[in-house]
Amino acid sequence: VAAVPVPLPSPKMAAVEKRRPTVVPVAGFTDGGRPTVSRTAAVAESEEDFLQQVGVTEMLRAALLKVLEARPEDPIAFLAHYFENMGLRSPANGGAGEPPGQLLLQQQRLGRALWHLRLAHHSQRTAFNNNVSVAYECLSAGGRKKKPGLDGRTYSELLKRICRDGEAPEEVVAPLLRKIQCRDHEAVPLSVFRAGMRTCFVLLEFVARAGALYRLLEDPGLAAADRRVGQAVLDTLEGALQAGDSDAGAPTRYLEAGSRLGPDSLALAMDRAVVARRPGVPMTREEFLEKAAALFIAKVKPVG
Amino acid sequence: MLSPERLALPDYEYLAQRHVLTYMEDAVCQLLENKEDISQYGIARFFTEYFNSVCQGTHILFREFSFIQATPHNRASFLRAFWRCFRTVGKNGDLLTMKEYHCLLQLLCPDFPLELTQKAARIVLMDDATDCLMSFSDFLFAFQIQFYYSEFLESVAAIYQDLLSGKNPNTVIVPTSSSGQHRQRPALGEASMLEGVEASLFYQCLENLCDRHKYSCPPPALVKEVLSNVQRLTFYGFLVALSKHHGINQALGALPDKGDLMHDPAMDEELERLLVQVPGLVNSVTASSEASCLPSRTPSRVASPWRPLHHSRKVDVESDGSTEETDESET
Repeated sequence: VAAVPVPLPSPKMAAVEKRRPTVVPVAGFTDGGRPTVSRTAAVAESEEDFLQQVGVTEMLRAALLKVLEARPEDPIAFLAHYFENMGLRSPANGGAGEPPGQLLLQQQRLGRALWHLRLAHHSQRTAFNNNVSVAYECLSAGGRKKKPGLDGRTYSELLKRICRDGEAPEEVVAPLLRKIQCRDHEAVPLSVFRAGMRTCFVLLEFVARAGALYRLLEDPGLAAADRRVGQAVLDTLEGALQAGDSDAGAPTRYLEAGSRLGPDSLALAMDRAVVARRPGVPMTREEFLEKAAALFIAKVKPVG
Repeated sequence: MLSPERLALPDYEYLAQRHVLTYMEDAVCQLLENKEDISQYGIARFFTEYFNSVCQGTHILFREFSFIQATPHNRASFLRAFWRCFRTVGKNGDLLTMKEYHCLLQLLCPDFPLELTQKAARIVLMDDATDCLMSFSDFLFAFQIQFYYSEFLESVAAIYQDLLSGKNPNTVIVPTSSSGQHRQRPALGEASMLEGVEASLFYQCLENLCDRHKYSCPPPALVKEVLSNVQRLTFYGFLVALSKHHGINQALGALPDKGDLMHDPAMDEELERLLVQVPGLVNSVTASSEASCLPSRTPSRVASPWRPLHHSRKVDVESDGSTEETDESET
C-alpha cells in the first residue's frame, strides 16, 4: 500500500466537542475558565488513552484506509458492512468457544476471501490487487490439518462461488472455469490466483452487460430476440474483438474496436442483417449470453 | 457502474463530500458515552450498529440539533422521522399551532430551535400572525424547505432584500451564514405589500447563488420553473412555491408525494413500533439493541411535550382557516 496520509477522526477533538454541554454550566459557576479547561483536557487525554487501549484507534485507521482504497459510492454502508464482517470473525464469535470443524473453517476462509475480493471493483487496479493478495493469504493460512498454501480445490471452489453469486447462468461460465481451474491437489501460485480472479470478475461484468444488451434486442411478447439481429450484434462484437488483436499499437486497437461497436455501425449491421436474411428461429437469452461469453472466453489463456 | 469523479478526487475531498469523518467522529463520541456497551458486545458490533443506523436514518432520533443538521443525510433522515412519527396528526385531520408543532419536533430533538419552527410557520401563514392553526401536510412541506435548505434561504433572503432596495444584483455580496442581517422581519413584511421583486431578475441572482453555494440548494432548473411562471413575486410567495413543488420534494427525497403522505400500510406497522418506543423512551432505548448507540435522554425532558397532542383541536376552528383552503385546493 502506498503511504496514504490517514486523516483519523481525532478522538480528542470529538471528546471535547461532546463534553461541551456538560462543561458549559460548570464554567458558569466558576468564574475562571481554567480549571474546567484543564479538566476537559485531562478527560480528553484519558479518553484518547482509552480508545488506544481497547483498539478503537487502530480499528478506525484500518477501516478508513479501506474506504480510501475502495472509494465506495456509499462509504457509510461500506463501513457498516466492513465492521459487520469484522464482528463475525472476532474471537468472541467463534475463536473462543469450541474450535470449529474443518469444513466450517474452510467455509469461513472462503467467506472472508470473497469479502476482501468484493471490496473494490476490478478496474481499480491497485485496490483490487491488494485485496486479491489479502484473499490469497486468507486462503493459504495453515490450519490444524492443513498445510500452508492454496490448493486447486479451494481455488476452484472460490471461482464457483464467485460465478454463482455473480448470477451468471452456469452453462455460460462453465467453459471459463474449465480453462482457468487448477487440479485439486495442485498448489496455486499467487500470479495464477490473481489472473483467475480478475478474469472471473471481468467475465461476470461482461455477461451482465451482454444481458443488458439482450434486453434491448428482446421482443417482450416472444421473450426472445430476432435471430438475424442477435447474430448481427454478436458478429459485430466478434469483429471488434478481433480488431483488438491486430498488430497496431494498443490505443489504436481500442479505438478501432470502439468505433466498430459504435451505435452507427452496429445499427448498420443490424439493418443489413434484417434486410438480407429471412427470419429464423428466435434467439433465446441463454443462447445469446452463451455465444457472447464464448467470444470472451476464447481470448482467455488456459492455465498451465 | 463506475463513477470516475469519485475515484479521481483527492482523499480529503472524497471523505468530506460524503461526510465520512463526521460520522466516524460521531461514532467515537457515541462509543465513549456507551463504554459499557462495548464491553458487552464488542467494538466491531457497536460500529456495525452505528453505521447501519446511519444508513437507515434512525441515527438522528433524540440527538442534539447540531448533529441533526450536520449533513444533508441527517436532515433528510430527520424530516423522514418527523413525518413517520407524527403522520397520524395529519391522518386525524388535526390542526395544530406553531408552538404545538414545535413540541412535536422537540420530542425527536430536545434542543430544536424555536426560530426554525417559526420560520416554517411563516411560510405556511405567509408571514401573518404565527399563532394560527396549520394542517400537518402544509406545515411538513414548508418545514422541509426551511429546514433542509436553511442556509440557502438565508442567502436568498439577503438577495431579496438587496433587490427590493434596488441594488444591482451583480454587486450582491452574499453573507455565508450571518443570520443577523436577515432578522429584519418588518422590512420584509412591508416589502411584500409592494408586490415583491421581478421574477426574472430574481432568478438570475439565484442561479448565480446556486452555482457557488456550498450548502445544498434546490435544483436550479426547478427554481427556474417556479420563477418562470410569474412576473413578480414576494419572498414568501417564492418559499410557498418551493414548498409546494413536487419536483423539489422528489429531488430532496425525504418525503413521499403529498397524495401519498397519509396512506402507507407498511408504515403504519412501523409507526406502531416507534410510538411504543416514544412514551416509555428510557426503557425501550436501553433495552433494544438497535437503539444502543442512541444516547438515553431523561424521560421528563422528552415525555412532557407529549401532552399538548391530546387537545382536541378540531372543534375550535376559530381562525381564518386559510391553511385549510390551500390544503383542499391542492388535493
